[in-house]
Amino acid sequence: MQTNLLSRPTSAKSTNMSDKINHPQLCQWLESVAISRDKQAFTNLFQFFAPKILRIARGKFPNEAQANEVVQDTMSNVWRKAHLYNQDKGAATTWVYTVMRNVTFDMLRKIQGNKEDNLSDDIWPIAESMSIETEIFDDHLEHANLLSVIEELPQAQQDVVKGFYFREMSQEQLAVHLNLPLGTVKSRLRLALGKLKVQLGEQHD
Amino acid sequence: MISHHPKFELIQAFVNGDLPASLSAGIAIHADMCPVCQQTIAQFTEQVAENSFEEEYLDRFIVDDNEALDTIASIDFDHMINNIVESSDIAVVVPKVEHTISFNDKTYTIPAALNSMEMGKHAHIGKLTRARIQLNENEIHTSLLHIQPGGGVPEHTHKGFELTVLLAGSFHDESGEYVKGDFIMLDSSHQHHPISTNGCLCYTVANDALHFTQGINKLLNPIGSFIY
Repeated sequence: MQTNLLSRPTSAKSTNMSDKINHPQLCQWLESVAISRDKQAFTNLFQFFAPKILRIARGKFPNEAQANEVVQDTMSNVWRKAHLYNQDKGAATTWVYTVMRNVTFDMLRKIQGNKEDNLSDDIWPIAESMSIETEIFDDHLEHANLLSVIEELPQAQQDVVKGFYFREMSQEQLAVHLNLPLGTVKSRLRLALGKLKVQLGEQHD
Repeated sequence: MISHHPKFELIQAFVNGDLPASLSAGIAIHADMCPVCQQTIAQFTEQVAENSFEEEYLDRFIVDDNEALDTIASIDFDHMINNIVESSDIAVVVPKVEHTISFNDKTYTIPAALNSMEMGKHAHIGKLTRARIQLNENEIHTSLLHIQPGGGVPEHTHKGFELTVLLAGSFHDESGEYVKGDFIMLDSSHQHHPISTNGCLCYTVANDALHFTQGINKLLNPIGSFIY
């Protein structure tokens, strides 16, 4: 187990919270991301947290790419999970720390050859008495890429594709959920997949 | 009432994410039942978070050339931000599903911290039933151990450590009575002989086989590795 930079006694700091961190501001940005998907607020959060996360990650991962991945994954979780942050339960820094620690923990487990089982959110839940649906995609770049292509599909096809692949609903469940005949669900899915193949194929060439 | 807690060093390592999954889950299970430790963890997490994201604190430890780091950062970061905000993906939360496990016709709720862990098949020996939890942590073995009323583990020591978190029921040994929620960490200096009068279910983590120390039980040593 490596020595942790943060486990040193910090009596001086711990008793009186630093006034250098503008907590209300961080909270407000996080709320803006949660409520209105505010990209500027996210950029502000990113500029505050990312360099610090990178430094901490560099202490835990010798490999630069892995440290970058911690930043990427932590900040993309902040974007995706901002609505799960509850101001009454603690500071924004505490919440982002939890997200970062969880990402780091799962990555270390994966690298150390244990397992790729993402246990951290069970051990340190970031939303109370709720669990977060497991991510289907590990590769965030590919995921983002795929999502942007899906966004270009007609809405009717998007609904089917997202339900089928991201919510893991069966075609039958989707038919009920979307109130459509099963045949329509099947043909929309087929059409959408055809388009996706063309789009993604072009981008990969 | 819970009277056995993880010591503060363990809680620190837990909050820092430095413990293996097995021990982390053990502390999470205990904290779920123990408001005192829950509060200690919350306070310490807040402190560590504050320190982590405070510029000056970090600078004390960082030997990296800041300029170099900033250069890397500025290139990657804009790209990263754009990539992230392009995604319309939002984490969907669902109510937690309770998982259960049965031992000898009794059904228990599995602690939430173990929800994504893979359970092995049950193995029986006398009044003990063990389900191994597959965490792939080399010499560290993690299990659910069920003891039927009147059952016990013969007197033994450990070459390494042995953590027991009592999930249901109770047991006693030379040092006293243990109840639901107790976090019992023993090392090689401890020798004990736990007995459960009314039966119990434990979460156990050990990094080596048990070593039986008494009379005929020494014959059991080959199965020490079975139990934990």
